[in-house]
Amino acid sequence: MSWETVIGLEIHAQLSTKSKLFSGGSTEFGAESNTHVDLVDMGLPGVLPVANKEAFYKAIRFGLATGAEINQVSSFDRKNYFYPDLPKGYQITQMTKPIVEKGSIKVLTDEGEKVINITRAHLEEDAGKSIHDLFEGETGVDLNRAGTPLLEIVSEPEISSAKEAVAYFKAIRQLVTFLDICDGNMAQGSMRCDVNVSIKKSGDKGLGTRAELKNINSFKFIEKAINYEIERQIRVIENGESVVQETRLYDSDKNETRSMRSKEEANDYRYFPCPDLLPVVISDKELQEIKDNLPELPEEKENRYISEIGLEESEAKIISSSKTMANMFEEASSKTDDIKLVAKWLVGDISALLNKDNIEIDESNLSPENFGKLIERISDNTISGKIAKSVLEEVWENGSDVDEIIQTKGLIQIKDESLLEDIARKVIDSNSDQVASYKSGKEKLFGFFVGQVMKETQGKANPKSVNEILKKLLK
Amino acid sequence: MDKKTVTTISYLSRLKIDSEKEHKIVKDLDNIIKFVDQLNGVDTSSIEPLTNPLEKTAKTRKDEVTAKNLKKELLEVAPSANEDYFLVPRVVE
Amino acid sequence: MTIKYKTIKEIKQMISQKDISNKEIVEEVYKLIDKNSHLNAFVTLNKDKSIKKAENLDNNPSDSSLAGIPIAQKDLFCTKGIRTTCGSKILDNFIPPYSATVIENLENAGCISVGKTNMDEFAMGSSNETSFFGNVHNPWGENLVPGGSSGGSASAVAAGIVPAASGTDTGGSIRQPASLCGITGIKPTYGRVSRWGMIAFASSLDQAGPMARTAEDCALLLNEMCSHDIKDTTSLDENIPNFEDSINESLKGKKVGVVKDLDLSSLDNDVIGVYESSLQEFVSLGAELVDISLPNLSLSVPTYYVVAPAECSSNLSRFDGVKFGRRSENPKDLEELYIQTRSEGFGDEVKRRILIGSYVLSSGYYDAYYKKAQQVRRLIKKDFDEAFSDVDVIMTPTTRGPAFEIGSKGSDPIQMYLEDLFTISANLAGLPAMSLPNGNIDNKPIGLQIIGNFLDESTILNFGHMYQTKTNWHMFTPEGVKP
Repeated sequence: MSWETVIGLEIHAQLSTKSKLFSGGSTEFGAESNTHVDLVDMGLPGVLPVANKEAFYKAIRFGLATGAEINQVSSFDRKNYFYPDLPKGYQITQMTKPIVEKGSIKVLTDEGEKVINITRAHLEEDAGKSIHDLFEGETGVDLNRAGTPLLEIVSEPEISSAKEAVAYFKAIRQLVTFLDICDGNMAQGSMRCDVNVSIKKSGDKGLGTRAELKNINSFKFIEKAINYEIERQIRVIENGESVVQETRLYDSDKNETRSMRSKEEANDYRYFPCPDLLPVVISDKELQEIKDNLPELPEEKENRYISEIGLEESEAKIISSSKTMANMFEEASSKTDDIKLVAKWLVGDISALLNKDNIEIDESNLSPENFGKLIERISDNTISGKIAKSVLEEVWENGSDVDEIIQTKGLIQIKDESLLEDIARKVIDSNSDQVASYKSGKEKLFGFFVGQVMKETQGKANPKSVNEILKKLLK
Repeated sequence: MDKKTVTTISYLSRLKIDSEKEHKIVKDLDNIIKFVDQLNGVDTSSIEPLTNPLEKTAKTRKDEVTAKNLKKELLEVAPSANEDYFLVPRVVE
Repeated sequence: MTIKYKTIKEIKQMISQKDISNKEIVEEVYKLIDKNSHLNAFVTLNKDKSIKKAENLDNNPSDSSLAGIPIAQKDLFCTKGIRTTCGSKILDNFIPPYSATVIENLENAGCISVGKTNMDEFAMGSSNETSFFGNVHNPWGENLVPGGSSGGSASAVAAGIVPAASGTDTGGSIRQPASLCGITGIKPTYGRVSRWGMIAFASSLDQAGPMARTAEDCALLLNEMCSHDIKDTTSLDENIPNFEDSINESLKGKKVGVVKDLDLSSLDNDVIGVYESSLQEFVSLGAELVDISLPNLSLSVPTYYVVAPAECSSNLSRFDGVKFGRRSENPKDLEELYIQTRSEGFGDEVKRRILIGSYVLSSGYYDAYYKKAQQVRRLIKKDFDEAFSDVDVIMTPTTRGPAFEIGSKGSDPIQMYLEDLFTISANLAGLPAMSLPNGNIDNKPIGLQIIGNFLDESTILNFGHMYQTKTNWHMFTPEGVKP
């Protein structure tokens, strides 16, 4: 029997506002516990929420970038459930009238480009954090995160494999970081996702019963959790049982999903319009302003790099794959006339280092500014390409400043032609045999002389000058 | 409204019904629901629900941090806390 | 010199003529509270700070509009540093770190908050029998209820302890106790007074307002209570008139809507008689009676008992024993913590309403109950909109009768719910409405309700004040008519 997989993703992206969705509490990550808790975040008796307009603007950017409908009148609802890190006993979310509906995004899969439709993207408040393993017999609650604005991006169930789910998540992450609405930091939980997985017999029209995998926060785990879940569901059905609609927790230590049914028992969220919040209206003028100030999107960047700058399609794709990469490219391009050189470094050495370490560019020690400096020093002949490689390796290790490395290690290229000529003469004088062979027609030996000069100068000689000088002396 | 429904909604509300009061509570709730059932007779097709008497739209805030650090005060009013966290009995995930 | 049974206006004059010092006023208030302790009107007193504030005023006289006026605050408003219980065991140890906007507004105008008044638990009740802190008694009769939920506030004003009190009104909680205690109280338009710091019962219905001896005093208090508050997005950004300015306008040619589909059949003849004779007083003041129709009025009680429980079931979820308030002792796990804390902390009426609310919002019932009720709510509002195109105010009795005996409504909650038959519709539609004393039945006061158009408190207060210049029902006290 062959099976088809149907996957839908609910991605929670923390919007990068300064203050919370309904209070003036700070959203800063990593602060001391319970120090960013306003009276409103605490859910004290008598407090009232006031919506942060910037969260709407950020959500709208996402909507515009995915070709979605923007609901200029949107409203809030309450989702009722009890949990210690949910201070009010309900979460304020947008159930009936979300700010964004019906968008789509292009995703690169093994079979080529595929469009995944986005059902909706709505605003809601994040919960606080429960800390289960710090205290004997007790759970600690930190409400710093409570009330942080989230954009919940809900896809249609159109994703057909774990790999495709990861590609979709990556595309969304790329987009929200380009739009500057979310920092995309998965380790800090700025992006998390719930995955709905079901299987059906190949060719069946309807959908199978789905399981929801909760709160997964890395690409690797998304893929593993989905693949585990697909196999589990196939096993269940092939054993003649049926899949239960339930929430399952992915345990990355054991690489398995397990039922959270006990918690979900009889859960009924009793959504209803939040009576404390009137509908929020976005005026035509506000919408136009957001449209006018929308940053360049990955696809637009890629096209511009090809048509205006003349990059190869493959180069343009890699460079526009993340906001940091594109920033590096644009920062460094402003420091040199040789834009091809910049592309060559990003697609070559830097991509190789990323692959080797299996990290994303924004996880590396290299900043766009530092990369710009590196390119600048190559272009102004301060250092040679070869030296640049060793400088890059050091930056990659510890993030040191490019100029500092060049200074402290004395890596500045020797530009003094008379000094180079002296060294070249010395090389020629002490290698008379090779000179004789060369002069008798063994022109391949030219490289040997270049190598000797470079060795004498510890690589700091400008190769072009060395060439010219040697040619002249060996005539 | 029967015993089973009352059990479900009490759980949703995190309330326990004393067994000696259960009979009366089921009866009271049933009567209240029967009383409000008279709304069923009203033709409300094409009537928009009115969730707030102000048929207005909301004022919003600018994105500014205005909160002060209230950690000490807030943890002080908590029924159980240490210097850093509100505490509840261990939650098993 | 005594302030007992005095109005704000009278006390202001006593202060300005130096007949009495601010400190003497406050000290007398505490003596009166002591003498009337059997009323159980107060839950928490604020004696030291109040005396200090009065002394400061004696040393540095202020020309603020309500300087030195003692006021009792309903224990539903958060008061910074002063225990705020909402009449509930679950909050019996709760000391808020902030004050409600209404409290700040009144105190900034010079009011001295002498204490927090008893009330039905979370404002759910019409007789003050649901308070964790015990029944409040009506000064008009030891065994009579003061009404609810602002029963402590009504009782304190009626007993002449304070000239003013704050109240809140979700379905009649200012007007019904005002009627039963023989005082004047107004629920403003929804959104006139900030809800910041008011412990929410039903957010789309709750509104704070003043309770006092006269319409004129209510106008003085309302001037200070209203504000546009950016912390409450349902607070109205509308011009706030000086409510005193138009209080003396002639009623000549003004139109009083008389609801022709009002079912008065369940009312005693005495009550109907009192109501009809006050309508005639308005005719003699120059107003014209106009028959109006509010065809969906009879649906207001069932509508309310879907909407209010739905909102309260959610609003009261924050009382879970985790972050503030009372927690049950030694819960073995989180579920037990929630269930025990809430089951021990809430009284029966609050539990009943939470359960109804959870039911009408649960999947499968939402459309049939919650959505339906909000649709009927729109019909009720539409009826008022149409009626107000023809009339300036609408009048009804406030209550079905005068104060009843404690325990007399038996154990059928619906009988108690019907107490608010006439008052609830103004909350559903968000309209301002006032109750003022218009008669006495067996030495028990009773009130008339005047409902106004959206934002038109001025007209209600004008009608109320003109009525009180012509009648003396507001001068009646439990100890006889004021000289």
